[in-house]
Amino acid sequence: MAGLKTIIALSFVLAIGFLLVILSSALYANYYPLLVVATYILAPLPNAVCARCSSPDDFIDGSGNGVLDFGRFLTGFFVVMGIALPALLAHSGIIVVPAMVMSIIGGLLIYGTIISFTMFFQEESDF
Amino acid sequence: MSRLWRFPVPKLPSSAVLRTAGVYTSGALFSLGFFLLLDASVYSKHANGGDVHITIVDWIPLICSILGMLVINSIERSRLVADSYSYSGNGVAWKAKLVLFMGFALMAGGLAGAATVLIMKYVVPAYPWPTLGFGVAGVVGSACVMLSSVVLWVSQNIEEDYTYNLSL
Repeated sequence: MAGLKTIIALSFVLAIGFLLVILSSALYANYYPLLVVATYILAPLPNAVCARCSSPDDFIDGSGNGVLDFGRFLTGFFVVMGIALPALLAHSGIIVVPAMVMSIIGGLLIYGTIISFTMFFQEESDF
Repeated sequence: MSRLWRFPVPKLPSSAVLRTAGVYTSGALFSLGFFLLLDASVYSKHANGGDVHITIVDWIPLICSILGMLVINSIERSRLVADSYSYSGNGVAWKAKLVLFMGFALMAGGLAGAATVLIMKYVVPAYPWPTLGFGVAGVVGSACVMLSSVVLWVSQNIEEDYTYNLSL
């Protein structure tokens, strides 16, 4: 299912996302919306790290689940942060509302690309 | 475990997907609560021209709530009922319940403190809306952290099968 077309489509979506975020910063000469990119790149990291830290073969006690849940908690935190941060900046008048809209949409596109990339290519890389 | 209450507690649906979604929702709610107060703080610094600003007093209730959430969710669940097993040590369940009580007290104290700040700092001097919103943001933020903790607690208590762990 994951062939060359998927890679091309995902890279296009990623490029559009970065275009929107950079446009939202550069159009108004105000580079705060770039924080969204950092947030969404940070967002998948806790899951990846905590999946390694937990011990999935220890299924008697389920002690590895706390670490896994902490990773998911942090992921949820970062995803909402990517939406809340531009809204906060726009509400306080630091950036304008069109920049907020563009950076939110661009950030969601970037995050969706990362998520769907890991979903498509997880099996091949893991086993 | 012997039943204590006459009405049985309804069984939660045992689904790994539901549990995962609950943990994600909990993180989202926590983020919402934190950023509500941060938004009020940044707004009071940058956009608000009034003479009342968010200070450390407004942050203390949220910090209390977050500490309480940390305490509550750090406890190992199985230790709460450990008295019925013989291999648990001396009063582990009692200690766990004490720590849990302190966590709940911290969280409820955070919410009550936010309400106190709202009333004493904003309602009694009768400030108009944008300033009044700072206090409301504090209360809603603490409530969001509380709700996030409830969601995390419930979703971690969802019974799961061993297949979940094996399928990882």
